[in-house]
Amino acid sequence: MSALEPTTPSAPNRAGWAWRPYALTLPALLLLVAVIGYPLLTIVLRSLSEPQWGVQNYIWFFGAPVNLTVLQRTFVISAWVTVVCAACAYPYAYLMTAVGPRVRLILVLCVLIPFWVSGVVRTLSWVILLQDSGVINSLLRSAGFDGIRLIRTQTGVVIGMAQVLLPFMILPLYSVMKGIDLRLMRAAQSLGARPSRAFFTVYLPLSLPGVYAGAIIVFILALGFYITPALLGGPRSTMLSTLVQTQVLSLLQWGRGGAMGVVLLVTTFVLLALAAPVMRSRYREAERR
Amino acid sequence: MLKSRYARLGAALALGVLTGAAFAQDKPVAGEVKEGSLKGKTLTFVSYGGIYQDGQAAALKEFVDKSGVKLLNDGPTEIAKLQAQVESGNVTWDVVDTDDLPPYVYCGKLFQKLDLTKLDVSKIPAGQVGECSVPAMNYGVVLMYNKEKYKDNPPKSWADFFDTQKFPGVRGIDGSGSPTGGLLEQAFKVAGGDPKAMTVADIDKAIDVVRKLGPDTIFWKTGAESQQLAESGEADMLMMWTGRAMTAVKNGAKYAPAWQDWLVVMDQMTIPVGVKDTDASYALLNAYLGKHAQEVLTEQTSYTPINSDAQPKVDASVAAFLTNTPERQKQGYKQNFKFWVPNFAVAQEKWSALMAGN
Repeated sequence: MSALEPTTPSAPNRAGWAWRPYALTLPALLLLVAVIGYPLLTIVLRSLSEPQWGVQNYIWFFGAPVNLTVLQRTFVISAWVTVVCAACAYPYAYLMTAVGPRVRLILVLCVLIPFWVSGVVRTLSWVILLQDSGVINSLLRSAGFDGIRLIRTQTGVVIGMAQVLLPFMILPLYSVMKGIDLRLMRAAQSLGARPSRAFFTVYLPLSLPGVYAGAIIVFILALGFYITPALLGGPRSTMLSTLVQTQVLSLLQWGRGGAMGVVLLVTTFVLLALAAPVMRSRYREAERR
Repeated sequence: MLKSRYARLGAALALGVLTGAAFAQDKPVAGEVKEGSLKGKTLTFVSYGGIYQDGQAAALKEFVDKSGVKLLNDGPTEIAKLQAQVESGNVTWDVVDTDDLPPYVYCGKLFQKLDLTKLDVSKIPAGQVGECSVPAMNYGVVLMYNKEKYKDNPPKSWADFFDTQKFPGVRGIDGSGSPTGGLLEQAFKVAGGDPKAMTVADIDKAIDVVRKLGPDTIFWKTGAESQQLAESGEADMLMMWTGRAMTAVKNGAKYAPAWQDWLVVMDQMTIPVGVKDTDASYALLNAYLGKHAQEVLTEQTSYTPINSDAQPKVDASVAAFLTNTPERQKQGYKQNFKFWVPNFAVAQEKWSALMAGN
């Protein structure tokens, strides 16, 4: 991509001035330290100090099978949500780049308007659609099929979460896709590639950075979801946030709640660290092309 | 206790004489407050919101008008938030409405031991005044069943609720957070146990009975959800709060209650440890317990008043779900408080595991 852009002249690198651009990040940094850094530190400290100093809360976490089941389930559900979001968002974002400005505006609004509606409201709408006596099952029954259980299942939770998180996938995808020069596709075809070949060898790799960016945002947001699994799920789709809530709000075990949060955070970091080299190499590849 | 109370009374009397009897310790009368006595003061009342807290605010209107206090409403009640306030020494909640158990579990730690010389508890039904709480209202957890599903052979008890052989169908259970002691005791009875002699190990047996209801069981998260389940006919048998059951039936849900062994529950009124003006909190509590306040509360919420003189004017649909008639009082089932208070944390843990699908 960068090959197509004019190279900017390198900035004057006089000593003493180099730090200046970094100063611009100061307000954001201060805010992050205040609203994320400090509370996070408190949570880590409390997880190690309540009821006394030690790792008892972590021993408890890994000693209770229910915690491990739910931790694993949290990652599985989040992964499915990411896959569903990517599958739905990709063609949509592509369409956004392919249409005229007016239709594009409508498409953008279709993404953003639900985004402005409270997540609780959207989730409750899904209850009405998905429940056994709901719209989808009524349609199925009137068409002569058996009703299917959607609500209080993992499927229901994934559907609801994917809808809530879809904009986070569409927007990064669109921002990458709109930078892809569609003439490259024509060039590929003029060199004899079938449209599918041109797509897989040219377009898809160029769009991957958008997929990765969207996937990471969706996956991480999904890990912490609370309202949607609570309302659309049943016992078999409880996610870790619900367990944290029980420990903190019902049992006043803030140490345990903190430990659960830390475990989730660390596991997420580990997974991202494992995924990062793959993504980076693919990203470079895309850049090179 | 008695001695110290006399000592305090004596001190108060002496003080009263010294200050020209301006603060004489008259015996408090439920529902009454001195004109203008709290002028310029602010009290924050915390409860669970919705029609319930609206009703409580309406019940306290007379108190506010007369005493001149500025009343702020906050909520919902979260014990964790209260703990944070008490720990940091900055308590902004002056009177707190809680669930059944917390005032007993955290008595003296988060909630003040109540000085009953400052309250008129004479009209509260027997056995409801705790060391750290007075009741806020009475209600019940009742078994509601789908009339169309069970027709001529309706379930009659919790034993039927747990019997999916004889009564097939989807069950709905309170999954809003804490376990309901009474329900677990009923489940334990089904497992062949005696709730009066329950031990910690028996909690597992009781929870197993609930688990055996199967994967279709719905654990509703909020009262509103339970109501929605009834109105849409999602569940065939539902464990419901009486206020929600009443509203669902009013809205056309084809459900009927099975009153045998309905579970007696109540909300509690408490004063947190470390409030800035204890006497003002007491004044609010005492006003809340009054006859008129309780009548207003019931008329607005359908929950049962806790002043035995109260004569609320309610229509038939509300009256059908009041729990203070002699007949209902006979059918009610009271949980084994002595067991659940010390075992609250264990029960919560096991119940949470059930909720999380384990």
